[in-house]
Amino acid sequence: MFREVDFGEFRLTEYKYFRMKEPAYALLAMPDTGLVGVIGANHLIKVLNLEEVGGVDSYVYLPPIAVISKKEIRLPIRIFASDNLLVVYSEFMPPPQAFPTLSKVLLDYFERKGVSHVLMASGLAVQNRFELDQLKTYYITTKPEVEEVLKGVGAQPFENGFLVGPYALMLKEALRAEMPVTLVMTESFLEFPDPEASAKNLEALSKVIGITVDVKELIERAEAIRMRARDAMKAVMPSLTRMRKEYEYSMPLNI
Amino acid sequence: MSTDEFERFWRRIKEIERRILESFREEEERILKELEEIRKALMPSWSYEGYLRPLYTMRDLGSEYVLYIDLPNADQGSIDIKFKGNTILIRAKLRTKHKFSEWSGQGGETVFTEYRDVITLPFNIDPNCVSLRQRKGMIELRIRKPKRA
Repeated sequence: MFREVDFGEFRLTEYKYFRMKEPAYALLAMPDTGLVGVIGANHLIKVLNLEEVGGVDSYVYLPPIAVISKKEIRLPIRIFASDNLLVVYSEFMPPPQAFPTLSKVLLDYFERKGVSHVLMASGLAVQNRFELDQLKTYYITTKPEVEEVLKGVGAQPFENGFLVGPYALMLKEALRAEMPVTLVMTESFLEFPDPEASAKNLEALSKVIGITVDVKELIERAEAIRMRARDAMKAVMPSLTRMRKEYEYSMPLNI
Repeated sequence: MSTDEFERFWRRIKEIERRILESFREEEERILKELEEIRKALMPSWSYEGYLRPLYTMRDLGSEYVLYIDLPNADQGSIDIKFKGNTILIRAKLRTKHKFSEWSGQGGETVFTEYRDVITLPFNIDPNCVSLRQRKGMIELRIRKPKRA
């Protein structure tokens, strides 16, 4: 273990010393709509062969869980890294009251690591997902220069609506901290793992980061991934229900 | 009390009775839904007997219920859905067998060969009022609610 930092009820641990090259990116993937972010991040970690460099834990806000990976004991929120990419990945959803502190912990960490752009990956629940073949991708960004890149891959700005969950808090905290942040959302199922949406989402994200990621495997192995992700989806559903995720379906009365 | 007054009074009593019964029904549906959620949360998603429980979701659209059941890697031809009272019994063979040990270090020699589950609805299902569609390893069941007497 290299170092530990306590931040409120959270503890951030680094297993080794590492520095990021500029421009550095961070990708946050929390278990959310259709597990779109988590499935995509999992694929990214695998294809880029990212090294696990740390993690975040909380004995108050997270379930008493140790993740066992390749015989190693790991923390529930895991941090992977390459030269210029940090991936924060969790299959466990903290309770909503933990989101404000967790957002601050992560943003503080990204700043210390010299991250210049925070990316977040999520699904956007659509009621007719069963019928859809062409999935639309939307974005919300505080960094205007990425708009051209995202429009180039067919993504559209998310104009009006509501966001519920950890990403909503991250966006608000990032705005307060004046950190460039982009949320990329792809139409997906709410209650079922959606690797097809993850593939589409990852295509857009990889363009922003400036890397090439082959997402063919996500499409080809979609059914196998859906089988394997059943437990993670089942575990996250009560949290999505409690945080009133269905607000995202609502029609806004925006002025 | 005149006859008119008595009839008005009686209509009010009947209206109050109707509202009470309606709220009981709604409460019963809510409790059943919560119990079903608890049952689903506590139940493991697989069994040592070699079957997986599929993920499913249910939406109440007023006149009908819509169920989506995720059956990835299921042999489409083997999907078997039966209705019994207010329950739906689902079985579907997997196209390829899966060992639990492929996914995790535990589970011993358990090999999964099929999906199996029982879904409970808050009303008796008339099989003639059910339509089914399949797409990309997922099935959609539309179940018309019975008309209340």
